[in-house]
This record gives sequence, C-alpha cells and structure tokens, in this order.
Amino acid sequence: MESVTSIHLDISGQICPSCLLLTLKELNQHAAAVRAGQTEIVVTTDDRQATATIPDAVGKMGYAAEVTRADAGYRIRVCAKR
Amino acid sequence: MGESPFPLIAVTSAVAGLVAGFVMHRSDFCVTAMFRDLFLVRDFFLLRMLVLLVVVSMLAFELGRAGGLLGPYPFPLLGPGSLATLIGGVLFGIGMVLAGGCVVGTLYKLGAGSVVSAVAFLGLLAGSALYAEWHPWWSAFAQATRFGPAITLPQAFDIAPALLILPLAALGAVYLYRSQRRGLLTRPGYAAGHIPPWQTALTLSAVGFVSWLLIGMPLGITTSYAKLGATVESLFWPGHVAGLAYFQAQGLNYTPPFAAGPVSGGAGPQLDAIAAIQYPLIVGIILGAALSALLVKEWRLHWRIPPRHYASALLGGLLLGAAARMVPGCNIWHLWGGVPILAVQSLLFLLGILPGAWLGSRLLVRYVVR
Repeated sequence: MESVTSIHLDISGQICPSCLLLTLKELNQHAAAVRAGQTEIVVTTDDRQATATIPDAVGKMGYAAEVTRADAGYRIRVCAKR
Repeated sequence: MGESPFPLIAVTSAVAGLVAGFVMHRSDFCVTAMFRDLFLVRDFFLLRMLVLLVVVSMLAFELGRAGGLLGPYPFPLLGPGSLATLIGGVLFGIGMVLAGGCVVGTLYKLGAGSVVSAVAFLGLLAGSALYAEWHPWWSAFAQATRFGPAITLPQAFDIAPALLILPLAALGAVYLYRSQRRGLLTRPGYAAGHIPPWQTALTLSAVGFVSWLLIGMPLGITTSYAKLGATVESLFWPGHVAGLAYFQAQGLNYTPPFAAGPVSGGAGPQLDAIAAIQYPLIVGIILGAALSALLVKEWRLHWRIPPRHYASALLGGLLLGAAARMVPGCNIWHLWGGVPILAVQSLLFLLGILPGAWLGSRLLVRYVVR
C-alpha cells in the first residue's frame, strides 16, 4: 500500500479567513503531490465558516474535502479526488 | 396609556438580539466575509445572501409602509448623504476586514468564544469613544459636503417610494430566481447545527421588520458603542467626557410606535432611549451566539494565535469604531435597514465599503494572514 504524507495545520482561534487562506496556500505549495494522492492536508479549526468555504473552494480546484468533528471544532481533510 | 415605552422596547430588542445572534452563529452570517471573500477568493455566495436579505426587506418594508404598519418613515437617525458618509464607509470597510468582523459580526463571534473578536470589541469601544474628540470638526465637514436635504432617493426625486423600490426589488428577485435555478443559493454545510444562510437571511429580514414595527426602527447598535466607551471613559476622566459636545448631543428624538410621547437619547453615558433600544440588542446577540455555540459544544477559548492577529483586531476595531461614528452607522443599520428603503446615506456607505473591503483584504494578506 502506498503511504500518504499528511500535513497538519492547526488554525484555531485565528482571525477570519485564516483557515481558508492558509489551507489554500499550503495546497498550492503541494499541489502536484496532493493531486497525485501522495500528500493530504489535514486542518484542525474552530472556524465554522471554513467547513463550507474550504470544501467549496478546493472542489472547484479539482480536489476533494472531508469534514469531521474533532474535539470542540472540526478536522478538514483535503486530498485528491478519487 | 401613559406608561413607559421602554419595557416593550427593551424586551423587543433583547429577543431580536437573541434570535439574530443564534442564527448568525449557526450560518456564520458574516457581513464582512460577504465583501472580503468577494475580493480575496472571488466567492459571491455570501453576497447573494445579502441580496436576498435586502430584496425581501425592500418588499416587506414597502408593504409595511404602504399598509401603515411601519412608522416613522423614513425611520429616525438617518441623515442626508454627504462626502463624510462615503469616506466613513471606506474606513469602515478597511476596519471590518482587519478586525475580522463588523460591529455586529464581532459580537456574535465574541459570544461564541472568539478571543480575537473580544480584542476587536475593546478596539471598537475605544475607537467609538475617541471619535468624540474630533466630532465637531467632522460634523462641520459632513455639513459642508452635504449632497442635499433628501433622506431617501424617492424623496430626492420627489416620487412615491413604491415607484423606485418595487422595480428594483423585482430586478433583484429575477436575479435571485435565476441564481436559485442554477443552485447558487445553497451549498453544503458540514458544521454541527448548520442553518442554511438563506434561512438566516429571511429570519434577519423578519427580525428587522418586527424591530421597526415595535420600536420604530430596524436593528442598529453603533451609538451605544460610543455610549459604553463614554461610560468607561467617564470613570477616569468625568470632567473631560462631560465637556465633549458629542456626548451632550441628543441625536435621537422620536415617538416610538406604541408610546404616548416622544423619547430622546444620545451617545453620552446616561441611560436613555438609545440605551433602551441598543444595550439589550448587544447583550442579546452575544448571548444568542453563546447559547448556539454551547448547544453544539463548540464554546472554547483559543488564544494561542500569532500576536499580529491581536494587533490587527485591535487596530481594525479602533478604525471600525471611529468609522462607524463618522458614517454614522454600520453594516446592519445601513445594509439591512437603510438600503431597503433606498436611504441616500446607506447607499453612499455601501459605495464606500466596497473599496474599503478591497483595501482591507490587501492589508490582511500582506501583514496579518501569512
């Protein structure tokens, strides 16, 4: 099985829209690896808005996003589209 | 009759605040994001929600006016348009993006446990109170750059409000219908207890209508930021506060819908009509958002963030507070209340916050979020 590198970002409590902007920045830096399925970006955040804007934004760019509950916030996983 | 009008006013405001705070938190109905994300990521989704709120309010307010339900018309505290409002709007736009929320957005985020919004709130109080220092000069500038005496566009053109408001609302309705057909009014929400923003837009429009019906004006809170700031300032420098013209003025003089006589209020530290209308609204929004966050178990303080975020919130809050007095008014007052009746001041404010939010977005990505 191929191993996937996870890049973890904790963006809790920061000024809006840090979560969306920093996720997109990270995604752009690792675009090829994420698209190839070798890397995924996992964001921990308390920003409710990001749970809608990140899937929307990365979806338009051709990636997939998955939102799960984590602690008192959310974990958003951005990866290649299957 | 002859009883005090204040219990009805205070209770209406508190309930309006609770409902607004709750639904705004659930939908993250952030007016700052509507304009900011337009420039930052070309995202028009939230702005469509604002169009929905405005179009529905246009129809509701116009029907309410024509049916004799809503008075006074136009509602109090709106002034004629001037260059001062436009400039104030630009500064407001920059401030709200740097603060991470506008005058009301900061409240619901603060209620939900955002530490950075609490810092923005302190900046807002200080900025609003500081404005009193240059109010006489700014007020003279506003007077000198007035465009005319009209409060609303229909007044300026001397035509019945319906002749202008209904065609514009119809145009907006066509745009919304087409957006809805293309699936642009909804998007998946994964947050716990998420309320689709279109439902919140309709709820907030209804809350604004009820506020005007029972209190005599839609939602507004900015004067009491100055009032609260003045209250704190007068603990330290009572003589100075008492000597400032801005804190002496009684800008609000009107007869509420269910009152026997007129009431008045201003930005000074005293408890008056402004305090009765706006303090319960502020407390309501904070508590409504806190309740919403507690119910979905998301109330948690996150304060370990880069210091430049705190600096941005404080400076943005100061600018936002001062600008809200220079306009005067805020997003909620002008976009949800004034724009639907085509108030000249509100339209100028809208024109100002567009370049302001663009500038604020540039500053934000350059110095704060990186």
